[in-house]
Amino acid sequence: MRDRLSFYILRESPIHRMNPLTKLTLVFSLILLAFLGPVEWLAILLFTTVILPLSFLAHVGREFLSATARLLLPVIGFLFVMQSIFLPGGGTALVQVWVLDITLENVNIAFVNATRILTMISSFLLLLLTTHPSALMSDLARRGVPGPISYTVTSTLQILPQMQVKAATIMDAQRARGLETQGNLMKRIRALLPLVAPLVFGSLVDVEERAIAIEARAFNSPRQKTSLVEIDDRPIDRRIRWGLILVVIFLLGSRLWLK
Amino acid sequence: MAQVTINNLTYTYPLTEEPALREISIEIQAGEFLAVIGANGAGKTTLCYTLSGFIPHFFRGELQGKILIDGLDTANSKLYEIVEKVGLAFQNPFNQISGSKFTVYEEIAFGLENLGLPRDEIRSRVEWILALTGIEDLAERSPYALSGGQQQKVALASILVMKPGVLVLDEPTSQLDPIGTREVFQVIRSLAHSGQTIILAEHKMEWIAEFADRVLVLDKGEIVRLGTPQQVLSDINLLSSGIGLSRYTRVAHRVNQQKLWPKGQRYPISLQEATEAFGRLLSQEGGSKK
Amino acid sequence: MNLINSIKKDFNTMTWVLIPVAIAINIVIGQFVVLLKLPVFLDSIGTVLVAVIAGPWAGALTGTLSNIIWGLLIDPNAFPWFPVALLIGFVAGWCAIAGLFKSWWRVVIAGFLIAITAALASTPIAVYLYGGITASGSSFITAFLIQTGRDMVSAVLSTNFLVEPVDKIATALLAFAILEGLSSRYLARFPRSENVAVAKGGRTTQLIVAVLVTVFLVALYALVFVRLIS
Repeated sequence: MRDRLSFYILRESPIHRMNPLTKLTLVFSLILLAFLGPVEWLAILLFTTVILPLSFLAHVGREFLSATARLLLPVIGFLFVMQSIFLPGGGTALVQVWVLDITLENVNIAFVNATRILTMISSFLLLLLTTHPSALMSDLARRGVPGPISYTVTSTLQILPQMQVKAATIMDAQRARGLETQGNLMKRIRALLPLVAPLVFGSLVDVEERAIAIEARAFNSPRQKTSLVEIDDRPIDRRIRWGLILVVIFLLGSRLWLK
Repeated sequence: MAQVTINNLTYTYPLTEEPALREISIEIQAGEFLAVIGANGAGKTTLCYTLSGFIPHFFRGELQGKILIDGLDTANSKLYEIVEKVGLAFQNPFNQISGSKFTVYEEIAFGLENLGLPRDEIRSRVEWILALTGIEDLAERSPYALSGGQQQKVALASILVMKPGVLVLDEPTSQLDPIGTREVFQVIRSLAHSGQTIILAEHKMEWIAEFADRVLVLDKGEIVRLGTPQQVLSDINLLSSGIGLSRYTRVAHRVNQQKLWPKGQRYPISLQEATEAFGRLLSQEGGSKK
Repeated sequence: MNLINSIKKDFNTMTWVLIPVAIAINIVIGQFVVLLKLPVFLDSIGTVLVAVIAGPWAGALTGTLSNIIWGLLIDPNAFPWFPVALLIGFVAGWCAIAGLFKSWWRVVIAGFLIAITAALASTPIAVYLYGGITASGSSFITAFLIQTGRDMVSAVLSTNFLVEPVDKIATALLAFAILEGLSSRYLARFPRSENVAVAKGGRTTQLIVAVLVTVFLVALYALVFVRLIS
């Protein structure tokens, strides 16, 4: 059994205590500012002065850095190198590789693009490390996201690991029977079917009984649903959300003004 | 008035020709324990779905006749109204886990959240049912990290916590090992003693003999027998409708085939009855040899 | 009012329970494909499945949630691409309503339409969020096209048109193969089961045919691609 269903790490911190919607607002504010802010280097500034310090404030700094390194460095590294080399135009040649000029302008653009992606994805990462998915969903459900949608998300979080375990079992069983998962393209395509078919049909057939089971538990009741878990939404959370919205409006407005 | 009344019910699944249930009529009193037996395909599951409203609402198809539960005409009610009166648990424990909850405690609360009960009421009911079903120690575990028997008890608790007037159980132990089976039947026993109305489709005759007030036998969608366990389960003719009788009954039948069983004496249906009957038989034999 | 009814029609309890399974199918098959190093993604089979039997709105929701959950659990890089997944589900659903999931050759057309949608939808995300060259392998094609003098948008668009059809036609065919393998009694529980014409019998042959057609298309496309760049 996988005990970690997501990136979430249970710790005691002001960021963990923050309401999920507040954190979600923070994420979207950071993304908007990184992409549409008044200056291009705002993205890297936000990463170093907001996201990174917050991750340490949340006592997940180490995990944040390692997840960033694992998930993001390859992506933005590749992006940076590719764009530096292949983007057209730019006058100030730095180096010449084969027939391509690497120009200062293009390195600059590549850097801005890479840091924007860094800020976008890492701010999500900060949310995920400090928020249990079911807390996020029940808070959103309380605020008007339809109950079945939050059911669907949390249910996927449970079903997926089950299916991955089953998939691994099937994979091992088929390999033991001599199925080749290496070799040429044809062989690998042919390998897909016996791996996938039992898994897919098995899990689809279960849908009917699970639908009966949740209907038997009043899933479709028109009554106003309640929630067992209580999720804090303190006055400070509301103030932070409004503050963030104002900052975003101010900075986006200042961009228009500067134009 | 009876708590459950089925009047002349005939039901055909969609895309099929033959009715799955034919002219079923029965009344079930509050607090009664009715066992439903029959071969595979005799209509046990269909009857369970009919009693819990999933026929016709979920399965659609063609339904004639009338089902009344606490006065509620199920064919003309909404499924969400019916499930507040009738609880249903079925074979596969894994598929009865809602899938959206991370602990057993939350899992059991799922139905109550849907019913919109206040948080305090949910907590007190969940704690009550955890104690009743003896699974307090599982409360903080993931519902997926449990054995089949434990999952089935969680499924039962999740239904019972909604306090249904009628509990319908469709072979709840058919996918469990002997230990899981015993655990689940211990829960069913305490429910039966508490006066819960229970309809149980099952083929484990020893357990039926212990609990049931009445036994209903289905064959090809029709009621072929209805009576006390003593009357029905000792009837060797049931073997021909594909029903496996208990080993006690079958041993007695063997003995009878060898003309050693006392004439006119009913076959035993439980360990206790078998002990008594064979004890008498042996002591008579001992007596006659002397 | 019509819109609300159209949305409502897609969702019954079967749909709500199917969606998580479909998302899991997307992710698990997507990971299998990576493991087998196949030159496709095949990460929308579940989305298309839902779109066909439950409808465009349910398909759109499945696509969206699929990317969100991929982001939540595995890789937050999936988040920005959710509009593509949304539109894949949406268009697949309308293809199904238009009757394109009733025979094998029509499914290929549906796959092609889905591919065009995906190509169009991912272009602005690649251009405006990632600056044109993203982190996927197909970026080399984009880079090449830019060097041959095309502008950014048309380079990205051409790349997507080149890459998407094989993947999305294979996706549609595999989704259809799965549907053919399910009983009509089971399919009838879903809101738009009439979208699928289930020709019964020869399940395994049909699945093999689907794989063969996929292989054929991969080969054909490789050919076209070689022509284009030489």
